Amino acid sequence: MLLVPAVFAALVSLLPIVYLVVRAAEGGLGVVAETLWRARTLELAVRSLGLAAVVTLLCVVIGVSLAWLVVRTDLPGRRVFGVLAALPLAVPSYVAAYTWVAALPDLSGFWGSVMVLTLVSYPYVYLPAAAALARLDPAMEEVALSLGRGRMSVVLRQLRPSVAAGGLLVAMYVLAEFGAVAIMRFDVFTTQIYTSYRAGFDRTPAAVLGLLLVVVTSAIVVAEARSRGRASYATRGAPARRRRVVALRPAARVAGLAWSTSVAVAAVGFPFAAICYWLLDGASAELRPAELFSAFGATLSMSAAGALVSTALAVPVGVIAARHRGRTASFLEQSTYVGHALPGIVIALSLVFFGVRYAYPLYQRWPMLVLAYAVLFLPAAVGAVRASVLQAPPVVEEVARSLGRGPLAVMREVTLPLALPGVLAGGALVFLTAMKELPATLLLRPTGMETLATRLWTETGSGAYGAAAPYAALLMLVAAVPGFVLGHRSTREDA
Amino acid sequence: MSVRRLIAAAIIPLALLATACGGGEPAAAPTSSEDPEKFEDASLVIYSGRNENLVGPLIDKLKTATGLDVQVRYGDSAELAAQILEEGERTRADLFFSQDAGALGALSKAGVLAPLPQPLLDRVPEKYRSADGTWIGVSGRARVIVYDPRTVQDPPKSVFDLTDPKYKDKVGWAPTNASFQSFVTALRLVSGEDKARKWLEDMKANGTQTFSNNGNILNAVDEGKVSAGLINHYYWYEKVAEKGEAGVPSKLSFPAEGDPGALVNVAGVSVLKASKHGAAAQKAAEFMLGTEAQKYFADETKEYPLVEGVATAPGLPALDSIKGPDLDLSKLDSLEQTLTLLKEVGLV
Amino acid sequence: MRLKVDGVSKEFGGTRVLAGASLSVADGELAAVLGPSGCGKTTLLRIVAGFESADAGTVAIGGVDVTGLPPERRRIGIVPQEAALFPHLTVARNVAFGLPRGGRRDERVAECLNLVGLSGYGERMPHELSGGQQQRVALARALAPRPGVVLLDEPFNALDRSLRVSVREDVRDALKKADATAVLVTHDQEEAMSMADTVAVMREGLIVQKGDPASVYAAPHDLGVATFVGEAVVLDASAERGVASCALGSLPLRSGGGGGRGRVAVRPEQFVVTPPEAGVAGLVERVEFFGHDAALTVALDNGVVIRARTRGDVPHRPGDRVGVGVEGPVLFFEL
Repeated sequence: MLLVPAVFAALVSLLPIVYLVVRAAEGGLGVVAETLWRARTLELAVRSLGLAAVVTLLCVVIGVSLAWLVVRTDLPGRRVFGVLAALPLAVPSYVAAYTWVAALPDLSGFWGSVMVLTLVSYPYVYLPAAAALARLDPAMEEVALSLGRGRMSVVLRQLRPSVAAGGLLVAMYVLAEFGAVAIMRFDVFTTQIYTSYRAGFDRTPAAVLGLLLVVVTSAIVVAEARSRGRASYATRGAPARRRRVVALRPAARVAGLAWSTSVAVAAVGFPFAAICYWLLDGASAELRPAELFSAFGATLSMSAAGALVSTALAVPVGVIAARHRGRTASFLEQSTYVGHALPGIVIALSLVFFGVRYAYPLYQRWPMLVLAYAVLFLPAAVGAVRASVLQAPPVVEEVARSLGRGPLAVMREVTLPLALPGVLAGGALVFLTAMKELPATLLLRPTGMETLATRLWTETGSGAYGAAAPYAALLMLVAAVPGFVLGHRSTREDA
Repeated sequence: MSVRRLIAAAIIPLALLATACGGGEPAAAPTSSEDPEKFEDASLVIYSGRNENLVGPLIDKLKTATGLDVQVRYGDSAELAAQILEEGERTRADLFFSQDAGALGALSKAGVLAPLPQPLLDRVPEKYRSADGTWIGVSGRARVIVYDPRTVQDPPKSVFDLTDPKYKDKVGWAPTNASFQSFVTALRLVSGEDKARKWLEDMKANGTQTFSNNGNILNAVDEGKVSAGLINHYYWYEKVAEKGEAGVPSKLSFPAEGDPGALVNVAGVSVLKASKHGAAAQKAAEFMLGTEAQKYFADETKEYPLVEGVATAPGLPALDSIKGPDLDLSKLDSLEQTLTLLKEVGLV
Repeated sequence: MRLKVDGVSKEFGGTRVLAGASLSVADGELAAVLGPSGCGKTTLLRIVAGFESADAGTVAIGGVDVTGLPPERRRIGIVPQEAALFPHLTVARNVAFGLPRGGRRDERVAECLNLVGLSGYGERMPHELSGGQQQRVALARALAPRPGVVLLDEPFNALDRSLRVSVREDVRDALKKADATAVLVTHDQEEAMSMADTVAVMREGLIVQKGDPASVYAAPHDLGVATFVGEAVVLDASAERGVASCALGSLPLRSGGGGGRGRVAVRPEQFVVTPPEAGVAGLVERVEFFGHDAALTVALDNGVVIRARTRGDVPHRPGDRVGVGVEGPVLFFEL
């Protein structure tokens, strides 16, 4: 029953690959080989992987440490820090990169990219880590302590699946990222893809490189799936116990406060302050409320629709991924990751390709843009659905079956209500990510539609930073709402 | 409790979606409230690779002057060109307004552009339009060397000066920028492949700093981070117009006669072969080469008007005083070879 | 027969879990499937419920073959190990879950809650209940739609020992009052013996013996069943004409006819402690006192160690010399 929509979701996700294969094949084997064997290709691939590895590692360190401090200690103000920890999600990477470069012009290259990308993407690790810590059975921690093992040994082991899933999103995000690294003047793999399109008007090498990126990312996805292993993380139906909190010693408390504060200042305080400065600095620039409002409306409506479609497509895939093992289930789940692995322009061009040929009446209409958002951000939604369905014990579903409900009724009346908070959280994540999306929005929006992100692009593109500020500020404020909800959720007692 | 809050967080945007898509907000969703076919028939669609802030007012003038219903899709020139190529026969674009000759050349090569009428082409000097008549320049921009008079006493007069050891680590360029690549193409065509390669390699060896665009290079010179850079002239004039001469410490040097660094490139327009509004698109192209539009380029974007008889902005050296390389701009579409060269040197 | 399982087999990844198991449960009967962990009893239950499909064999409920039917069409009730109440629904809505909409729904919910002694708990949420209460709600939920068979999967495992006995009684009473046919799966022989009308002993994927608790205890099918359903001292013996000779002397056999070499099984309550000279002599090793009775571990002089049940006011201390005799016939199993 679920298989049909799940296969549909997977097929939609795989469209970009079909497109890339078509375009790569046009050039013939010669161009493919020539593109692949170019020394620069290898060098950039290594740079991209290095960047992804370092950023992912740092995100894990920041995300897990903040999650532990917020969920498991008596850190003063931990609920506030919990909310702040999720708010970098509201900061578009290109805005973060730009504000940092504007303030510290020497910050560039590898470490500049590492810093900016880490600060904007660690919430992808923080959120699942906080959720996993919240449901971790304190008894296990106590057993570990009683056996003379550190508390952290068991905590880390239990966190592994959630952290691995979050780390995967970070790694893929970094591999596909272009805007921030371009501002940091650090050439990576995606630079090569963009250059191919932008300067070469040449779609074949771009397609070959895109496929290579898919291969690399698939390897990472498969590795993550292996790390998840065969262990079952489904919860039993036992009533939850109240979470226990570690009392920090004074020195640890100071260190914890300093750490949480510095992350919050760098990741949230700084970009927001910089935008405020732009706002004041550019106060002379005329504010056009009508344009601001219509961009605001377009952003909200498109992102909300994207979140809705993404979540709807994610539910069957996520449920299958949570409830079934085997090749089909993992193939379905992993195929949805393609969108996250490719730069926005590739996704956009592939939808141009298919839209013009097979869905012409929808082409350059809003459904096409919404579909692009769904393809781009499906993995975040699938991950959220999978994790929250795992929270609903299978035995409860079986009981519902025995009480006369068919599989779909069970899904509707039991599984989804139980998974709902997690599914909605996934939707909120897609919602705020879609708000910040630029490359696909530029190519696929209806002619004449402007979102906050495209306005921001227009204004900064002509150097009008004062005029760009209201759009950046509004974008970050709106994105902060779901960010706030997600962060707040992470600090809940029964999260 | 928080489930309810999450539901609320999901419902509010949905409600907004309903209002935005229900036709209540035409700017956001112009298509749903109208019959799509009618919409297609009624409007002239321009794909503009030029920034809305630069040409938006000009489009308004176009609407007023011609009475056409114009829809503009703003984007990056090359990305829009890629989009047009993907769209093929079914492109929604009628007119393509490109930031540079390169994207126009690529489309021309792909055979998706319709020829323009000769009288229109004749308004512009031959060197600023395509040889086959598929695109025409509407405004020109000169490549210049921006330098910092605080550290550079005698201004560089040629791009070849910049390989001098005194500029070690002190020059900025933007190898991924289309204008820069057009200049390298000119360099190749004028000085020959070997000399072009040697210049690129020497520049690289001299520690030339890579930037993502002209604006950043200019800012870096003004901030004293580098001493000189390769940019287009109007970035400097615009910045001066915005911040005043005192706010812009850098100065411009127009390279000497015949130097490939003195290339004048153009922004141009072309009509799509697949356009169903060929006549309207041509009308729009004609407007771009009319006095009103040409004056707009001169006064507002500080570019060079290309039609004779329209005065350049005060302060700008006259267009024909810039003795660029003797070069047919149509040949700038050999960007492929330039890219190969840039790739081989390891710059892109 | 209310439930009839016939020759059901099941393999998981090449491991045979059920090897043609058969089981019949009569109307209104409470049957316990008793077996050690890994014997296949839970798989059997899941096949009856329809959560797993059998490789071979059939399942019939109320005379209808349900082998190919999905769980929702089998009219069964399930009480799982950890209650598994729907955490997002109130107690009343949990119980009402399997009832058709409208009609006399509320009435039936009240009736079932009353049946399990939880009247007035309807508006509580599951996490506000104790483990025992949750288990009783799970039973009410299973009983509410008047299922053909109620399946209980080790339902008392998660409960504290002290709670277990009382919940057990409540569950049995409720099942009986509801006149339900039920299958209880358990590895706890005490639970099976005390609750069930019939006990089916399961081993290595097969039901090896089925009967009322007393007869299974008294006349086990083989030595394995004998030691699984109750404690026993097992001794090598040779039998002839209804008498077995073993380390405890010559003992009468419960079932005559057997002969040759084999083993006898003596239940702890069959032992009588006598003065040393009146029985097989030995030394008291340990005295376990339970209040109502006691257990005495005696190392006999011939090397055999036995554990005997005696009255609570046992006068012996470790180190005392005593004699041990056997009352009544013993179980004999040929080798």
